[in-house]
Amino acid sequence: MKTITVFDKPMCCSSGVCGPSVDPALARFADDLRWLAGQGVQVTRHNPAHDATAFMHDPIIREAMKDGGEAVLPVIVVDGEERSRQRYPERGELAAWANLNLASDPATSTQGDCCGKTGCC
Amino acid sequence: MEKPAAADPAFVATPRPNIFFTGKGGVGKTTCACATAVRLARAGRSVLLVSTDPASNLDEVLGVSLGLVPVSVPEVPGLSAMNLDPERAAAEYRERIVGPARGVLPESLVRSMDEQLSGACTVEIAAFDLFAGILAGETRPAGVEVVIFDTAPTGHTLRLLKLPAAWSGFLESNTTGNTCLGPLQGLKEKQELYAEAVRVLADPELSEVILVSRPQAASFRETERTRRELADLGICRLHLIVNGLLPGGTDPMAATWTSRAAAAVACMTPSLAGLPRTTVPLNASAFHGIAALGGFFSNGTADFSGPVHYEPPLAPSWDDLVNDLASDPHGMIMTMGKGGVGKTILAAKIAEALASRGISVVLATTDPASHAAEACANRSIEVVSIDAVAETAAYRDEVLASAGAGLDPEGRALLDEDLRSPCTEEIAVFRAFARIVERGAAGLVVCDTAPTGHTLLLLDATQAYHRELGRQTTIGVPESVLQLLPRLRDPAFNRILIVTLPEATPVHEAGALERDLARAAIRPYGWIVNQALGLTPTRDPLLRAKAGQEDRWLREVLSRPGRAYAVPWREDYLY
Repeated sequence: MKTITVFDKPMCCSSGVCGPSVDPALARFADDLRWLAGQGVQVTRHNPAHDATAFMHDPIIREAMKDGGEAVLPVIVVDGEERSRQRYPERGELAAWANLNLASDPATSTQGDCCGKTGCC
Repeated sequence: MEKPAAADPAFVATPRPNIFFTGKGGVGKTTCACATAVRLARAGRSVLLVSTDPASNLDEVLGVSLGLVPVSVPEVPGLSAMNLDPERAAAEYRERIVGPARGVLPESLVRSMDEQLSGACTVEIAAFDLFAGILAGETRPAGVEVVIFDTAPTGHTLRLLKLPAAWSGFLESNTTGNTCLGPLQGLKEKQELYAEAVRVLADPELSEVILVSRPQAASFRETERTRRELADLGICRLHLIVNGLLPGGTDPMAATWTSRAAAAVACMTPSLAGLPRTTVPLNASAFHGIAALGGFFSNGTADFSGPVHYEPPLAPSWDDLVNDLASDPHGMIMTMGKGGVGKTILAAKIAEALASRGISVVLATTDPASHAAEACANRSIEVVSIDAVAETAAYRDEVLASAGAGLDPEGRALLDEDLRSPCTEEIAVFRAFARIVERGAAGLVVCDTAPTGHTLLLLDATQAYHRELGRQTTIGVPESVLQLLPRLRDPAFNRILIVTLPEATPVHEAGALERDLARAAIRPYGWIVNQALGLTPTRDPLLRAKAGQEDRWLREVLSRPGRAYAVPWREDYLY
């Protein structure tokens, strides 16, 4: 089973709805993670504001923050390997990392990057 | 050890493990709560007195410095007390999370974690967590038989009492991801804790709520509203205290006072009149020392050494105030102060006075339990209030329409679930406040605020959000929110009137409020001493004695640097 770990920026809640403004990218990303979990991917999300120990004990995220500090967040780790930093990837990219075929999901076949590494085109 | 006296009210004679004192500001909640605590401790019970008011003056009454951990009250064996100050609770909560990361994680990250955990929801949750823990027994100190909660003025307290049900419902229905309380997986225990708190509140054998009211129609109206809301929460063991009845006036003004109180008592709703009731007579002087409070419910009116020949100091009057305010018919005028000092009625009367001079004004309120509309006699003045339920629904719709636009139905359901978090109400109310302030850019807004504690939390939230805005993109943030703090700080835009009564606690609290405002870089316009008995013509010995007691506080305020006005006592100017 594929494992995707998200190291978020410090946030109150995962969609940002309790801050002064709501970032649509966060709502979209939360939905993408829900979709991945539905496809059998093990998804874990760490928010330093609630879960600082995850950041303190994970060598990958500590290494990533060594130079860039907080600015590198969010960092996405797939199966123990850093795949992206400073951004929330699109669903197509996440699907590719998880070896999932985006086109097989009727709900999402019209969106996302279908010409990613899955080679579905 | 004292045996319960025949005069003891039922909630003292057979106390439940949790007793709440609630009511509008200034009705005497703290005095009644302390009197009950002293009486029960004297009867041999182990009692913990807990203040849930962010602007608590329990320290002052008990003469003990209070914090988040119970301390013994030396004068009264068997009594300990604590103060669930939300800011301090939040600071501790923050330190538990941020502390271990300091020196380990990058400094910039630690700083922004700290900022994230300074928002309104963290502050609310931290205090609420402690409250639920005591109620559910988890953090109840061993051996304590009775916990007495001295609560914040009504609106704030109803929110606190509703939160266990709100959070436990939210945790039950929320199936994914993170919440403001932390990742959902870690919250199983919390859910049980909150469910237990809900159960304890609604069990008449475990919890009793004492509604404290003044013998005045407006005060009874609010008490009745509270009774209904408590009934909706399933809280049904209630007791009514009518506090401060003037036994029998000896001059026209005092006689009017007495007869209006009698009329108000006679006109209570049947549900209120049907509650078990304790009536406490008016006293000329405040009780000195906690030990003296043991006889509060059985003493009758204290002696006073009348007749008193009392001459009040000269003070700038109501007309001076209106003249000064009318010189600039723009921006915002805010009345602030402790509960029950007359913020609402003064805001309404200021709006009326300015309107009668042809100035276009809007009367607004940030108090969830406000009666600003009732207080305003001029029906042509627009009254704006914050309806938390409607604001939250509107905010949810707005976010679903914007951030939810590109999502599929499941994604929208996920966002909707997040939006059902009780935290959403905090941000919705905050945005509504920003919109009210914005109206001052086009005209004059007279704004009545909630009692101090609640208002300070709103200002803290304003600062926390403002800092957050500095860090992130401001696209999609309403202009009213961006301008909020700069407007509140601009003395040419915002004129704050600190309202107080000529009594020790309200004057001390007003001073603390001024210092808190200064920390937020907000300077008040001036002070109003409301309800000065000494400025009335009464010759009633009890009232004259009371006026003599007030003199020192009236003079203290008038001798402060800056503007100060004094308004004579009026029966209808208290709320």
